[in-house]
Amino acid sequence: MTRRTLSLSLALCLLAMSAMTTNAQRRGAKKPARTPAAPVSAAKAGDEVLMPTSSPLISFRILFMTGSAADPAGKEGLANLTASMLSDGGSRLMSYDQITEAFYPMAAGFSSQVDKEMTVFTGTTHVDNHSRYYAIIRQMLLDPGFREDDFARVKTDAVNYLKVSLRQSNDEELGKEALYNIIYAGHPYGHHNAGRVSALESITLQDVRDFYRANYTRATFVLGLAGGYPKDFPAKVRADFAKLPAEQTPVNNFFTPHLEPGTQVEIVKRDTRSTAISIGFPVNVTRADKDFAALAVAASYFGQHRSSNSYLYQRLREARGLNYGDYAYVEYFPRGMFRFEPEPNLGRQQQIFQIWIRPVEPQNGHFTLRAALYEFDKLVRDGISQESFEQTREFLSKYVNILTQTQNARLGYALDSRYYRVGDYNQFMREQLAKLTLADVNRAIKEHLLTNRMRIVVVTKDAEALRDAIVANKPSPITYNSPKPQRIMDEDKVIQTYPIEVKAENVRIVPVDQVFQ
Amino acid sequence: MKSSILISLLLCLPAAALAQGRGGGRAPQKKAAPSQQRKIFPYNYTIDDLPNGLRLVTVPTDQPNLVALYIVVHTGSRNEVEPGKSGYAHFFEHLMFRGSRNFTPAQRDEILKRTGASSNAYTSDDRTVYHEVFSKEDLDKVMELEGDRFKYLQYEPAEFKTESLAVLGEYNKNSANPTSKLFEVLRETAFKTHTYAHTTMGYVKDIEDFPNQYEYSRQFFSRYYRPENVTVLLVGDVTRERALALVKKNMGDWQRGNFTPDIPKEPEQDAPREATVEWASPTLPYLAVAYRAPAYSDEAKDKIALDLLSSIAFGENSDIYQKLVLKEQKVDFVSAGADDMIDPELFTVFTRVKKEEDVPYVREQVLATVKRYSTELVPQKKLDDTRSRFRYGFAQAMDSSQAIAGALAPYLALRRTPETMNKLFALADTVTPQDLRDMAAKYLKESNRTIVTLATKKGGGAATGGAK
Repeated sequence: MTRRTLSLSLALCLLAMSAMTTNAQRRGAKKPARTPAAPVSAAKAGDEVLMPTSSPLISFRILFMTGSAADPAGKEGLANLTASMLSDGGSRLMSYDQITEAFYPMAAGFSSQVDKEMTVFTGTTHVDNHSRYYAIIRQMLLDPGFREDDFARVKTDAVNYLKVSLRQSNDEELGKEALYNIIYAGHPYGHHNAGRVSALESITLQDVRDFYRANYTRATFVLGLAGGYPKDFPAKVRADFAKLPAEQTPVNNFFTPHLEPGTQVEIVKRDTRSTAISIGFPVNVTRADKDFAALAVAASYFGQHRSSNSYLYQRLREARGLNYGDYAYVEYFPRGMFRFEPEPNLGRQQQIFQIWIRPVEPQNGHFTLRAALYEFDKLVRDGISQESFEQTREFLSKYVNILTQTQNARLGYALDSRYYRVGDYNQFMREQLAKLTLADVNRAIKEHLLTNRMRIVVVTKDAEALRDAIVANKPSPITYNSPKPQRIMDEDKVIQTYPIEVKAENVRIVPVDQVFQ
Repeated sequence: MKSSILISLLLCLPAAALAQGRGGGRAPQKKAAPSQQRKIFPYNYTIDDLPNGLRLVTVPTDQPNLVALYIVVHTGSRNEVEPGKSGYAHFFEHLMFRGSRNFTPAQRDEILKRTGASSNAYTSDDRTVYHEVFSKEDLDKVMELEGDRFKYLQYEPAEFKTESLAVLGEYNKNSANPTSKLFEVLRETAFKTHTYAHTTMGYVKDIEDFPNQYEYSRQFFSRYYRPENVTVLLVGDVTRERALALVKKNMGDWQRGNFTPDIPKEPEQDAPREATVEWASPTLPYLAVAYRAPAYSDEAKDKIALDLLSSIAFGENSDIYQKLVLKEQKVDFVSAGADDMIDPELFTVFTRVKKEEDVPYVREQVLATVKRYSTELVPQKKLDDTRSRFRYGFAQAMDSSQAIAGALAPYLALRRTPETMNKLFALADTVTPQDLRDMAAKYLKESNRTIVTLATKKGGGAATGGAK
């Protein structure tokens, strides 16, 4: 429930930076088990989202429908490096230092975010500066410099992001991203958006040029513009980007991953003070599916992001003081420790249901894992109550206004709505929620969250002891620093021996330096 | 180019900026005089002082439906004057969510849930800020909740102890990041007397002792959670009349206090200081070069001059950034800044070095840059470009009622009025290249300096050098 000193926030922000992601060629994939209801992974030429307003600011979200799922095998990280070369490198006419010089008095920036299927370039300028600003970013995207010195820098940044910032500085994000890698092993989503360390080292500047040529096309381009831009401005941008090659990028229908039945646990061994836990499994539901609102209610009820208004948080943190917070998600939400609201433009055909348990004292790791699974099983078994349903529905119906309170966020959500084909996001969610009944939610919970393919990642120091305890289903009693109500003590007795049914061979220990390798 | 970082930096700087033509101030607005047209804070606002000392600042905006409520308590870790109490202001922030006379935590959560609110709080050295964003129709209920907890906070010793564990959990999650430790050591090295010697999070030994300090928590509440020490800020789809009526109704009978903390003065530093941190797991080395910096002021030029120079000397298009980040690629970032603080704190240059053997070189480059600006004059154009950057940076950050409230809160903690931002900007316009040089010579001198380096402990695993 807190931030700390501003300087420290800044430092953490800097570490979080490399907000990396990419696009690339789809790797070999197994036959789809199921494809989503309405996949949209390619843009039609001329696709755009325009939101003219009277604001003195102009927001750009220039989207390319390509991402890290398009990384060729052995070149994982190529999509991210390509995007970084455009947003953090020079154009043919201007070196990167000249660009920073030009942006300086405008307080302008230009950044990229790469996810599995989307790469978005974002920037905001005051209307006073829009011509100068646009002239520069147009060159960056359409006439990139692809210089060797820029390439060496962005590649090192990507490697250090994985090796230092993620592996060694943020156990929570490490666990969450490792969970995705495990669930999507063998799938085009199966590596971090920034790539793999060993693959990054083999990527060349020629690879970047080739990727750019193949994936930055009229077919993948979607223009997003909002704010007080001049009337004729979109036509000018459209004409400029019409110079992109016309190549059609094949539509990718990403399949739901095939997971072996049974629970699997990966313990990432790292010399760290506390124990971070992430739990998840695939769900066949995106915003494009009829059950999205129902699952959104279930996830919000169970674990609304960074909110005390949720069940798991109440049980683990408020009642027991186990940690700082406990949340649940039905959509990818990276960097959640730095943000209250998710970034837009992380649209995916495939999502997972995820539970994020913030770090606990190591001696409580086994108990907390059991408690999370116990509460989750209860959710699936009992569903939610009429009262909780109504409260959560009311919350989400109003919360959409907070998600979209800035012009930049509204533009991002509008682009995502185009991808999922759902219309205006706020209206869509409010309508879906209004139609929903408790029975819909509880049916959706049973249908989508009942799983025998749970995947668990734990980041901890004493990996062997935890593995042995899990495999042996050893009791994990807990003690507190204050008296607890009898109902908590009774519940603890159940939790401390709550079985985690997992075969010994499915509890693996992985040294941290092998994660993202 | 990482715009998110840029915005963070700009928010840390005293946002000099801009007006989009609207005047500000308490008086009924007349047509703005030319000088007012460049006010950095472009919104009309009102200030109302209640007889009990509570201040209300209301900023209506044209963003429909939403209201941002920020309650600024002028108390932070700076107030932790007693030994063993580091981190207490932050811990107390947590306790404010543990129930009040008329609302249990569960009732509070249920009410806020039905409002669709985004609700949280944060603590820094000089302030504790409770904030909510919600639909305007829920303002009455939210103000009732807030009035109740600020007047009648109530929690049992058992709940108090449980909450202390959540704070320990917060410490634990942060502890994975080596910069947490680096800043802890930087503060305790640079300060020997003032409470800025410890971070807002506090020392883990003090956090572990929180469960034993229930009585002190009641004392802390009685000292600092008083109307004369609090400013209520409402921004968004709200009128002054409604805001004032609700604040009077819910907080008008809040009893004034009389506690004045005795914050120890830090003596002048007379020699450079240095510390190193050995980190148990592999990391790239970090380097922090800090100097005692002036306190916030909207009247004396030194602090705003430092902010301008910080951007010129260490910003993204500074010579050192271009050299170390882009050309030689010795470091992966350089950042610099001094927060706006009640008392003099630190100006810190912070960087992460790609190879441990380059740390001495990078340090030398940072020191040479500092020395250069103590003797050289900055070109006038560079100074003007920097003022422009501050102006546009601030305007671009003001993109929602919540963002406006978030930017205002630190200034209300410092001066209790948005007008301080306008004064600061007007002051920035008067800064000359000579002022920058004089300020640098005065503050960025060796005897004011503290350097902290952090690197992997020998034998603790290989540091990584990247792809090159």
